[in-house]
Amino acid sequence: MISFIGRSVIQKIITLFFVSIVSFLIIHIAPGKPSQVDPMNPKFTPEVVERFQKEFHLDKPLHVQYFYFYKDLFTGETISWKDNQSVINKIWERFLNSLPLFIVGTIITWTLSFPIGIRSAIFRGQFYDRSATFLSYLLISIPGFFFAYVLIIFVVNQFHVPVIGMETFGIGEGASLPHIFMDRIWHLLLPSMLGATGGIAVLSRYVRSQMLEVEGQDYIRTARAKGLPPEQVHYKHALRNALLPFVTMFGLILPGLIGGSVIIESIFSWPGMGRMAYEAILARDYPVILTVNFVSAVLVLAGTFISDLLYLIVDPRIRL
Amino acid sequence: MNIEEKGFNEDFQFETPLAPKRTRLQEFWLLFRQNRLAILGLFIFILFFCCAIAGLFMTSGPDPLFDPAMIRLQEKLRPPLVKPNLDSLRREEIPCLGFYLMGTDDLGRDVFARMLQGAWVSLTVGFVAVGISVLIGIFMGGIAGYFGQHHIRVDHVIVTFLLISGTALVTAHFIRFGAVLLCLTPAYIFYSFLTQNRSKGKTLPLWAKVFRKNAVSVDTLIMRIVDIMLCFPSFFLILTVVALLPASIYNIMIVIGLTSWMGTTRFVRAEFLSLREQDFVAAVKTLGAGNFRIIFRHMMPNAVAPVLVSATIGIATAILTEAGLSFLGFGVPPPHATWGNILSDGKNFIFDAPWLTFIPGIAILIVVLSFNLFGEGLRDVLNPKLRGRH
Repeated sequence: MISFIGRSVIQKIITLFFVSIVSFLIIHIAPGKPSQVDPMNPKFTPEVVERFQKEFHLDKPLHVQYFYFYKDLFTGETISWKDNQSVINKIWERFLNSLPLFIVGTIITWTLSFPIGIRSAIFRGQFYDRSATFLSYLLISIPGFFFAYVLIIFVVNQFHVPVIGMETFGIGEGASLPHIFMDRIWHLLLPSMLGATGGIAVLSRYVRSQMLEVEGQDYIRTARAKGLPPEQVHYKHALRNALLPFVTMFGLILPGLIGGSVIIESIFSWPGMGRMAYEAILARDYPVILTVNFVSAVLVLAGTFISDLLYLIVDPRIRL
Repeated sequence: MNIEEKGFNEDFQFETPLAPKRTRLQEFWLLFRQNRLAILGLFIFILFFCCAIAGLFMTSGPDPLFDPAMIRLQEKLRPPLVKPNLDSLRREEIPCLGFYLMGTDDLGRDVFARMLQGAWVSLTVGFVAVGISVLIGIFMGGIAGYFGQHHIRVDHVIVTFLLISGTALVTAHFIRFGAVLLCLTPAYIFYSFLTQNRSKGKTLPLWAKVFRKNAVSVDTLIMRIVDIMLCFPSFFLILTVVALLPASIYNIMIVIGLTSWMGTTRFVRAEFLSLREQDFVAAVKTLGAGNFRIIFRHMMPNAVAPVLVSATIGIATAILTEAGLSFLGFGVPPPHATWGNILSDGKNFIFDAPWLTFIPGIAILIVVLSFNLFGEGLRDVLNPKLRGRH
C-alpha cells in the first residue's frame, strides 16, 4: 500500500513536470507574441513594448522564462499580463463562481443517471430501455450550444424568467430575500442542467452496462432461485455489486472542478473559470492560460490517484 | 442464435467440407441488420456523405449552382420555403430552386447553399482529424504493444537529446553551436554501426557499458506520453492552439487529430499485447515472416474492431468540436460557411429568425447522432461477448 502510494506519487510528479514543459512550449513556440495583440494601438510604442518584455522576462531565452514562470507560480506571485492582478486570486474568484454550477450539475448527473440506468437494465430490451438508450444517444449527440438556445427560448417563452448571467441585473436593491434566492436558482438551473446532459447520458449507459454485467452472474441466479422477491434481488444483491466501479468515479469528477465549459459559460455570460480561460486565450494572457492548464493537470492527476486509492480500498481483490 | 443453428443442422454432412457457408462480411451484415437504429445511422451517414460531396460541386467553382456568398440585402431574413421577391432581384441573384428552401440569413445569403458548403467542412474535418488520430494511435499502440519489451538504451536517449537541443539551438540562432551538436548525432550513429560489427565477441570497457545500459522500455515511454497528453483538458487545449495558430481549416483538422489519439493507442496496445502471445503469431514467426508482415498482415486485422468503433464515434466528436470552435469564432475563417458559424451568426436573431439557429443545430444533431448510432451498432456486432445476449 505504502509503496504503491509512493510509486504513483513519484510517477505523477514526473508526469506533471513534463506537462508543464509541454504546455509552456506549446504556448511559447506558437507564432505570434503577446506584445503584438494590438499593434494598431498608439499607446504601444516600441519603448512600451520593450519595457513590457523586460518586465515579464520575455527577452530572456526560453528555459530561463520557464524557470521564472514556475518559480512565480509556486510562490504564488504570478500576475496576469492583462491587468497586473494576481492570477491565483483571479482564478479563485472565478472558481467560486463556477463552483455552484459544478455542484448542481454533478448532483443532477448522479441523481438522474442511476435510476435511469438501473431501470433500463432491469427492463432490458423493452420499451423503456430502448427509449432511454435512444434518448441518451440524443443527449450525447446534441451540440451544447444549440441545446442551450433551445432551452433558453423555451424557458423565456414559457415561464418569462430571465436566465442570462448570474443574477438579474440590479436585483440587489429592494428585492426580498426569497425573491433574490429564486432568481439565483433560475439563473443556476439552465447552465448546470446543460453541463449535466452529456454526463447523464454517459453515466446512465455505464450504470446500465454494469448492472447487466452483474445480473448475469451466478449469485444473482442463486438469489432468484431461492425465491427472493425481484426487488430484493435487483436492489440488494445486484446493485451493491454493480456500484463498485462508481465509487472510484468520484475521483474522476475532480477535473470538472476547473474545466468549466467554455461554450456554456459564454452563452450564459457566466463569469466562471471557462470564460476566464477563454478571455485569457483571446488576450494571449500566457500566465493565466498556463496556470489554468497546470492546475487542471494537477486535478486530473489527483483525480486518477484518488480513484486508484479508492479502488484499492473498496475492492479487496486487487489488493495484492 | 437461430441463424447459426439452422445453417449448421441442414448442411451438416460428413462428406462435404465443413467450411463456413458465409463469409465474415455476410455474417457481419446479418447481425448488423437486426439493429434497426444502427441501420438508420448508416443510412443517414450515406445520405450525409452524398450531400456533402454534391454540395462541394454545387457550391464551388466560378459559377456555382448555389452561391453561398451571394449577398442580397433586400432579401434578408426571409423564412424557409418563401418565394423571392422577383422584382427587386437581378437575374443572377434569383436562387436556383425558385424559392429559399431554408430561408436567408441577415445578409440575404441563401442558407441552403451555406448548409451545403458547410456539410463538406464537417465531413472533411471529421474524417481527416480521425484519420490522423487513428494513424498516430495505431502506430504508437502497435509499437508499444509489439516492441514493448525492447529497451531504449542510455546512448539512444543522449543522441535524441543532442538532436533536439541542436535543432532548438539552430532555430534560436546559435547556429554554430547547434550545428556542432547536430553533426555529433550522425557521427555517433555511424560510429555505433562500425563498432557493432566489430565488437560482437569482445567485452566492452566499463565506461562504454554505462552507455549501453537500458534506460526505459518502449512500452513505458509511450504509455507515459499518453498519460501526459491525457492531463490536458482537451477542448481547452484545442482552443488554445487554434487561437494561437492562424485560422485555417487544416489547422483545426490537425489539432483535433493530434489531441485525440490516446484512446486508440490504448486499445491497439491492449489488443497487441494479447495477440502477440497467441499461437498463430508464433506460427507466422516460425515461417520466417518479418515484423512488418506480422504486424500488418496478421495482427492488425484482428485488432481493428475496437479501432473502427472508436473511430466512428471519434468522427462524431470531431464534428461536434469543430462546430463548437466555429461557434466561438475560432473555426474556418469567413466568408466560408460551416454549420457552427451559421448557427453562431444566427443566434443574434434567435427570436426573429429561429430557422438560422434550428436548421444548422438540427443538422449537426442528426449527423452526429447517426455516427454515434452506427458506431454503437458496430460495437455490438463486433463484440462476440454481446452476441448471444439479445
